Amino acid sequence: MNRVLVLFAHPCEESFSAALHKTVVDALTAKGWEVDDCDLNAEGFSPVLSAAERRAYHDVGPNTAPVQSYVDRVMAAQALVLVFPVWNYGFPAILKGFFDRVFLPGVSFRLVDGKVKPNLMNIGKLAAVTTYGGTRFKTFLAGDPPRRVVTRSIRYVCGAEKMRYLALHDMNRVTDAQRAAYLARVKAEMEAF
Amino acid sequence: MRALVIYCHPDPGSFNAAVRDLILEKLAGQGAEVRLHDLYGMGFSPVLTAPEWAGYLGCPGNVAPVAGPVDDVRWADTLIFIYPTWWYGLPAMLKGWLDRVLLPDVAFLMPDATHKNIRPGLHHIKRLGVFTTCGASRWLTFVVGAPGKRTLQRGVGFLLRPGKRSVFAAHYLMDSSTPTSRAAHLGKVAAKMDRLIGRPAPQQKEVRA
Repeated sequence: MNRVLVLFAHPCEESFSAALHKTVVDALTAKGWEVDDCDLNAEGFSPVLSAAERRAYHDVGPNTAPVQSYVDRVMAAQALVLVFPVWNYGFPAILKGFFDRVFLPGVSFRLVDGKVKPNLMNIGKLAAVTTYGGTRFKTFLAGDPPRRVVTRSIRYVCGAEKMRYLALHDMNRVTDAQRAAYLARVKAEMEAF
Repeated sequence: MRALVIYCHPDPGSFNAAVRDLILEKLAGQGAEVRLHDLYGMGFSPVLTAPEWAGYLGCPGNVAPVAGPVDDVRWADTLIFIYPTWWYGLPAMLKGWLDRVLLPDVAFLMPDATHKNIRPGLHHIKRLGVFTTCGASRWLTFVVGAPGKRTLQRGVGFLLRPGKRSVFAAHYLMDSSTPTSRAAHLGKVAAKMDRLIGRPAPQQKEVRA
C-alpha cells in the first residue's frame, strides 16, 4: 500500500495554494497513491498546544490522546507532502501547530539518553510545495526558516530517502506564465514522487 | 520608552514566566511604559481565517479583526518576544500573532506604482529583544539553522528601524536544566536587557517613506 498524507494549510479555496493543493492531490492519485487529504483549515484543526498537553508532552503513550486521529494518519502514511504558503518567513500557524501538537515524543521522535532519535521511519518520502511573498534573495537573507525546518528537522525524524522542496518566490509580482510553469513543475514532481 | 512584550507559554509555572517577570522588572526599572500580550492568557486565536486572508491587502480594513494588537504595535518603540522554541521555531500561537497582526500597512507596505519592492513599515521600533528556551542543544539548534531566531531577528527585524538595537538569549537543553543553569540564564537575560534598554537608543536616521 502506498499511502500519502497531504497536509494543506491555506484558508481560501480561490488561492494559488489551493491550486497547488489540487495539482498535488490529482497527480498523486493518478499515479496510484492512496491520498489522505488533510485540509487543516477545513478540518478546523486547532494549532494551540494547551497547558495540559505541555505538561504531558513527554509522557509517551498518553501524550497522543488529544490528537490521536492525526497521529494515526501520520503513522499510516508512507509519504508526507506539505502544501502551504510561507507567511512571515515561517509556516502558517495552523501548520506549525500540527508539528507542535502531533509530532510528539513517541510519534515523530524518541528521546534516548536525552538525545533525539527519529521515529517516523514509515515515511520514506517527504515533499514541501510552497510559495513565498519575499524574493529569493530576501528569503536567503532571512535564512529561509521553513526550508530549514522541513529539509533538516522534519526530514531527520522521517529518515526520508526522497526529499523535494519546491518553492515559488516573489508571489506578489510573478506572472501568469510563471505560475503556470510552477504548477507544471509541481505536477511533474508529484507524478515522479 | 514604550515596550510591547509578547509572551507565549501555556503553563503559568514555566521558566518562561520567570524570564517574563524579570524583563518586566527591568522595564519598570527604566520607567518604560509597558503593554503585555500574554497570548495564552488572552486566548489569542492564531489561525488567520479565510475572510482575513481575502481582505489581507485591503488597507485599512484589514486591521479590524486585530485592531487592539495593531494599535499596540503602532504605539511601541520596543518589541520583546518571550517564548519556548518548539520544533526549532515559534509556537503556533506566536507564529499566528505574526500572521494576523503584522499586516500590510502595519508592518510593511506592499509594492505600488512608485515602489517596486515591499518596504518595511515598523521604522518606529528601535529595539528588539528575543528570549527563548530550547529543548535542543546549542549545537543541534545551530545545525538546523535556528529557524525561530531567524524568523524573528531577521524576518521581523527587517521591518524595524535600520540601526535598531537587537538582543537574543536562549537557554538550551531545557529538559535537563538545573536551578544553577536557570539562575545563570536569568543573569544573562538581565545583562541583555541592560544592553537593550539601559542606554539611549540610536537616533532615527531616515523618515518612513
